[in-house]
Amino acid sequence: MLKKIVTFRPSFTLRILTGLVAFLFMLSVCTLTYVADITTTLSERDLQFRGRLIEQGARYYKDQCARCHGPEGKGIDGIAPGISNENFLGQVEFREVDGQRVIQQIKPSKRLAELGYKGTLRDYIRSVIASGLPIKSSADWADPHPPFLDSYGGPLRDDQVDNITSFVINWAQAPKPDGESILPPPPGSGGAPKPTAVPLTADQEAGKQVYLKAGCNACHAIKGVGSQGAVGPNLSKIYTLSAETIASADYKSKVKDQPASTTPEDFIKQSIHYPNAYIAPQCPTGACPAGVMPQNFKDTIPAADFDKLVAYLSMLK
Amino acid sequence: MAVIGEKLVKQLRTTGVKSTVAQRLDDAFTRWNTGLTWNDVRGVLRGDPPAKPNPRVKPHTESFWYHIRPTFYHEAVTTLYPTFRLGLLSAVFFTWEIITGLFLMIFYTPSPTAAYVNMIDIMTNVPFGKFMRDLHRIGAEGMVIVVTLHMCRTFITASYKKPRQFTWFTGVILLIITLFLSFSGYLLPWDQLAFWAVTIGTSMADAAPLVGREVNLLLRGAPDIGAGGLLRFYLFHVLLFPLIGVVFVAVHYYKVVRFGISLPPDMDAVGEDTARKVPPEKRVNFLPDIATNEIMYAAVTFAVLAILSATVFAAPLENHANPKQTPLHTVAPWYFYWLQGLLKIPHVIPFLPGADSFFANGLGLTPKVFWGVIVGPLLIAVLFIVPYIDPNPSRRYGDRKIALGIGALFAALILYLSLAGRPLGVPITGFGYVGGDPAVEVGQHFIPDEGEGVIKEMSFDALVPGTYDVIGTPSSGSAELDKMIEEINSEISSRKANADPLGKIMPADAKGTVAIEDIQVDLRKFTLFIDYTDAKGAPQKFEKYIYLHKESGYSH
Repeated sequence: MLKKIVTFRPSFTLRILTGLVAFLFMLSVCTLTYVADITTTLSERDLQFRGRLIEQGARYYKDQCARCHGPEGKGIDGIAPGISNENFLGQVEFREVDGQRVIQQIKPSKRLAELGYKGTLRDYIRSVIASGLPIKSSADWADPHPPFLDSYGGPLRDDQVDNITSFVINWAQAPKPDGESILPPPPGSGGAPKPTAVPLTADQEAGKQVYLKAGCNACHAIKGVGSQGAVGPNLSKIYTLSAETIASADYKSKVKDQPASTTPEDFIKQSIHYPNAYIAPQCPTGACPAGVMPQNFKDTIPAADFDKLVAYLSMLK
Repeated sequence: MAVIGEKLVKQLRTTGVKSTVAQRLDDAFTRWNTGLTWNDVRGVLRGDPPAKPNPRVKPHTESFWYHIRPTFYHEAVTTLYPTFRLGLLSAVFFTWEIITGLFLMIFYTPSPTAAYVNMIDIMTNVPFGKFMRDLHRIGAEGMVIVVTLHMCRTFITASYKKPRQFTWFTGVILLIITLFLSFSGYLLPWDQLAFWAVTIGTSMADAAPLVGREVNLLLRGAPDIGAGGLLRFYLFHVLLFPLIGVVFVAVHYYKVVRFGISLPPDMDAVGEDTARKVPPEKRVNFLPDIATNEIMYAAVTFAVLAILSATVFAAPLENHANPKQTPLHTVAPWYFYWLQGLLKIPHVIPFLPGADSFFANGLGLTPKVFWGVIVGPLLIAVLFIVPYIDPNPSRRYGDRKIALGIGALFAALILYLSLAGRPLGVPITGFGYVGGDPAVEVGQHFIPDEGEGVIKEMSFDALVPGTYDVIGTPSSGSAELDKMIEEINSEISSRKANADPLGKIMPADAKGTVAIEDIQVDLRKFTLFIDYTDAKGAPQKFEKYIYLHKESGYSH
């Protein structure tokens, strides 16, 4: 058998026939591939890659955008507007046209019309991500949108900016209701800082300085005060939030090593001196991380300053 | 002065239209077929024996393409053994790569900002694009295999011996060119696979003593691979290496015409070579026998490659290259696994860690430099001198027990090192295993950083949103998801029961959780959590996630 194989020498006819059959076979495989490509496979693969790029976009969104725009794109008060809502995205729908899936705009973006932007929504999103905004568009936000594209000094490559754009636009199939999101003020109206409703007392003003000096704003945010951190809970309405928290069953069951506070002031004091007594459930970018807040504030903030800080935080209702 | 067409008019007048046309057609035909008349060609096609003197010898002196092929072969080398047509197939693959490569070149720009977009365009917008890419890729891997086998065959039949020493020498150059061609093409898609495989490959050059930094800069165009490196690899791939390849293929072919194909070892007396002294009755003429034979093998190879590409084979394309993120378990291309295996040898002298400091202090030699930069290239370099150091004049198998033994050992060594080069290492000895933390390995097994993965290939509808404990008998509401959770559970259990080759074991209290969330329409997030207590008694939470879109279709 082995000898037969190694001494195999096809006859002339067999050679011509095999060669011819193989050649025709190859031609037909090529033809079939071509026909399949131009009829179905190319557009199928187009959809595949569209999906894969959105997956990538989701990853980069989580890493880069969620800390200001929120994991669901609803925006964070005082930091960034929502970008997954109907006001911004309008609404699109996939329709079958001649066997091809096409995107159709069924509601236009109100925000784009408001801004008088001349390009498409994709252009707008892409350009804002890439180059950022040169100036603060309103006093509602702590900082203007930073540039993200590497050629403008950001951390992302061209393709990553494209992928994030695809991901954001993908919300337009089922945009979040405007009511659930932080909406930006109309253009031109947000230029001047909003007046504080109640003027601060001297103690509260001093407390605000303690807040800034102790670096609380590296992780927390109070609308309009210093830079805006997004690691810990937003403190813009901390008194109200504290009142709600101490009334909740979650707080009563989970507070540990410390007695359960009965007043919002107590809760604020407890949270600064013993941060691990209770971990708040909701932070701007998702569940609050445990053990992140420094535990030595009771040593580093003098008692007098501490009282002023609590007085300041307690007026944020 | 002769009037244009004067001869034609004269011929028409004397012999008539019909005869003139026939005569002229025959002339043209004969010119096109380098001296073979219509009757000669007809004889070839019918398989008739040649007339005397044989007109089929004429093209070999008249035409370029025939003159680089021998006029006749010895009957004994026209069977499958001893050549197995591997040399011919190498040339076929080379041609194949040029044809498909030219097609791909039309749609490709060697720039980091454009290359990956071009790849997606080739796959989604160019009819034949994906097919050509698959063909090019399968051809490249096939060529490495065929060229290597061709070398093995030549070694086994001792065809490298006098007078073919230099033929072997050019053959080794062609083997290196094949590897370099394949490797330089690896970078061009500019995906994670490409980027990191080539980063690893070129970091070898960086480790070389004295000239390492300069060679590395020359290859990459910068300390790291970027726009400059991509352009350089592109030019290597489409210009420099093919050019060197063509030159050495020409020399290699010329040597075959000059010395003939060596006869099977036992047919020649020891020390003699009679490949060119073929008795007339043993001759097999190139036309038509060898030519048709070669065309048949080429056609069958093309057909097999086309069928494989159209059905099962798909050239991989991972995510866009990201210099800031190294995927876990990055490997070199498979034909460089042996080199990666060499790099994993921990000491300059194996099993003698004490000697390392001697080499490091005295000579500045680290194990990586010694094994990767010195021994690795040396293993290839030793191939060059094989014909010059083999003192044995005999080509017979029985007389070459030592040479064949060394060859087999060499092959076994390369195979062992290749196994060690993979992240899993060598099966029984465990050498080369590079696994990390058990939880990380479970994550990598189900949700690899790049490339194919089982979670990716699940159907979208099976990913029912919810949070599920990883247990033996899950009930998630989807049979496919249940099966996956079971698999994760058995993987965690088996890592609890058995330590990996590095002795790392999954803590007994490790508990898995799977969370599936709806992120957007048709977009879900699959997260695998593993909670466990580490050796210091601290609770640990491992988390790995992947976003999956309904359309992304990784399973097909």
